[in-house]
Amino acid sequence: MLPTKRFKTFAISLYAGVPLREDTVTKVALTPFVLRRGTESYPETTQFREQLEHLYGAGFGFDVYKRGDYQIVQFRMDTINDSFVGGDEQLLDRSFAFLGEVLTRPAQENGHFRTSYVQAERETVRKKLESIVNDKMRYAAERSIEEMCKNEPYRLHPLGERKDLPGIEPDTLTASYQEWLQQASMDLYVVGDTTLEEVENLVQRHFNVDRTSSSDYQTQAAVRGDKEVETVVERLNVSQGKLNMGLRTSITYGDPQYAAALMYNGILGGYPHSKLFVNVREKESLAYYASSRYDGHKGIATIQSGIEIPNYEKAVTIIKQQLEEMKSGTISDLEMSQTKAMIRNLLKEMQDSAFEMIAYDFNRQLSGKERTAEELLAQVEHISKEDVREAAEQFRLDTIYFLRDEKEE
Amino acid sequence: MESIRYEHLQETLYYEVMDNGLHVYILPKPGFQKTYATFATKYGSVDNHFQVEGQEEVKVPDGIAHFLEHKMFEEPTGDIFATFASHGASANAFTSFDQTVYLFSATEYVNENIQTLVDFVQNPYFTDQNVEKEKGIIGQEIDMYADNPDWRVYFGLIEAMYQKHPVHIDIAGTVESIRTITKEMLYECYNTFYHPSNMLLFVVGGVDPQEVIDMVRSNQEQKDYKPQGSIQRFFEPEPEQVGEARREAKLAVSLPKCLFGFKETDVGLTGEQLLRRDMTTQLMMDLLFGSSTRLFQKLYDEDLISDSFGHEYNSSPQYAFSAIGGDTKDPDQLLARIREEVDAIVEKGFESPDFERARKKKIGGYLRMLNSPENIAHEFTRQQFRGGDFFNMLPLYESITLEDVNLRLREHIRWDQLAVSLVVSP
Repeated sequence: MLPTKRFKTFAISLYAGVPLREDTVTKVALTPFVLRRGTESYPETTQFREQLEHLYGAGFGFDVYKRGDYQIVQFRMDTINDSFVGGDEQLLDRSFAFLGEVLTRPAQENGHFRTSYVQAERETVRKKLESIVNDKMRYAAERSIEEMCKNEPYRLHPLGERKDLPGIEPDTLTASYQEWLQQASMDLYVVGDTTLEEVENLVQRHFNVDRTSSSDYQTQAAVRGDKEVETVVERLNVSQGKLNMGLRTSITYGDPQYAAALMYNGILGGYPHSKLFVNVREKESLAYYASSRYDGHKGIATIQSGIEIPNYEKAVTIIKQQLEEMKSGTISDLEMSQTKAMIRNLLKEMQDSAFEMIAYDFNRQLSGKERTAEELLAQVEHISKEDVREAAEQFRLDTIYFLRDEKEE
Repeated sequence: MESIRYEHLQETLYYEVMDNGLHVYILPKPGFQKTYATFATKYGSVDNHFQVEGQEEVKVPDGIAHFLEHKMFEEPTGDIFATFASHGASANAFTSFDQTVYLFSATEYVNENIQTLVDFVQNPYFTDQNVEKEKGIIGQEIDMYADNPDWRVYFGLIEAMYQKHPVHIDIAGTVESIRTITKEMLYECYNTFYHPSNMLLFVVGGVDPQEVIDMVRSNQEQKDYKPQGSIQRFFEPEPEQVGEARREAKLAVSLPKCLFGFKETDVGLTGEQLLRRDMTTQLMMDLLFGSSTRLFQKLYDEDLISDSFGHEYNSSPQYAFSAIGGDTKDPDQLLARIREEVDAIVEKGFESPDFERARKKKIGGYLRMLNSPENIAHEFTRQQFRGGDFFNMLPLYESITLEDVNLRLREHIRWDQLAVSLVVSP
């Protein structure tokens, strides 16, 4: 927890993580959807949501996502500080009570989740999985990961697999939930105008759960990328082609080279001054967006761009040239200083957002790596071109994915 | 420099109007690392026909405000992103119906970054060659939106409703309309709408207001702006009725997208009146369609809506409309059920406990928004251009009554003003 008077709210975040596994991924994903339907005290969904409105429309939400080879369920609450609404409404206490009940005392019937909730939320998850194709940028990003990681759990979508849904019944889901509640790694965060003492007291009162068999996160080694580059072309009815590339790297979040990998990504495609934006968009007018992202938890980097379909070869060539420049250390002093300034800005800006501070600390829990934002910043400042070039050697192109139209050439 | 204290929010706003007409506002946020600044012109996609006092009347191609936004980033010395990056600033811009906003966020070199922001926007550099080059990039942006079903269904609704008013024209224009844009047209629009008297600079973050104002003042004094007459904007009269009751676009989607809304007939409000009506309408729509309502739950249980079901209200002094909907397996059934249920609610009106709860939720949402420098800057500027005061919304929320909301319900829900937009798979 972090006591501060900087914000007008209390930010509460609960992370529950389990290893990403084919046999549990869909049940775990479905669980928070059912939990947000009702609790013992507010069994009807309208009552549940009205209660949030009584708390001055407390923000309540959840997400299910992948971090490395873990499937993380995150619940968030964002409740305003009582002092702005002129009262002693005990909004923090009531928010903890609410979140605690969501997690530990769901609405039940006959010893399991309400059947109607399980049925409706199965449909909701199914629709969400099916709707991924609607957003072509996101669809291409997810398909390229799926192709690249087809022999690992990471290929799985965090919301699971459609084929599993019909087989998940209220009793099996309830059993899976109870196991998850006991075994998942759980981290609870609070940022706001409160004290550790108050928070400890609130946790004891509202999160009454026996967790004797819970486990900590284990760090995982990155998958080695030493195979030939694979190219996958998929056809759909689209106007714009989506070119996505996946790279493997041995450098992960806890690695001493992590700061150099951040610089690598920043120079390559993290920003509008980066090689990809400048060369693919500004010099060649090939794309509206062209960027890269680095995921240190999994040890991969991705490149994404939306291009005119006939420009595929040209775009691939230009992007590969940028990767070669990174490997040969063709990096200017300006690229170094600009990228350092941008990373510095990102790490400092985090301090202004309660949820971002929480997210940064959660990386520590997940990776087992103690490294404050200040320490990371200091490491970035000391990175040389040679360090970036060495990091570049640890990034290997693995998969090229192209989503294009259905017309024959 | 003047200041206004908003005691109930524990915030103080500082401001000054420069000699050339530029409005500068500073909101200090002690303890914040970041400074966020926006430099905005009251000029958006709808301003395609205009006249400056004492000058010729001008008509320009669709998408030019957005095109201009793209081109502003190019300077004789190269791309301005590089200058921002050297000072660790993350810069961007966006164009909406009625404004164009340039922005950055940074944790250091704040004065340098503010100067860069003001200077690059006040230094246009258009050449035949760089204008041509941009057509390829924006063409790709237009294609990207053409593949996006949420954008298509939203714009389809506006196109169905509005027959004459340029709000129905896509902000980016079309590949054909942008092809006709020249550097001369860009300068014409630039000189009209980027005059300081049509612009607003907002800075929020860990800054000293006096220092920022002094710096901006001396920056502006070095630039030679001549006074400009008022800008008149022309809009063809818009019929009250919707243009088409229903519009459909084909795009591969997992489920049909259905968005419907009501076109407001009573337009012309400005300032606090407009803001109050927006707030009352949004409260009304939350009571009608919000995720805690019985209607929402019924439709969800009937498998006609999903979490994607939402609502918004968009307004200006010349147009106003609601947009409600999401993914549904059966748009016709959804619309029929909504009509049935909504009619019953309009008949009875809302009840006091529901109203009080919904208002609490809105107040909470407003206060939460004040944690975000981005939201503060955007909402403040938007309101200021319309003559409203973003920081005065709390007392306004407190002044809205159940009767106001019930009246709004009966005024706004008029089935003869309904338009429906669908995106379905081919």
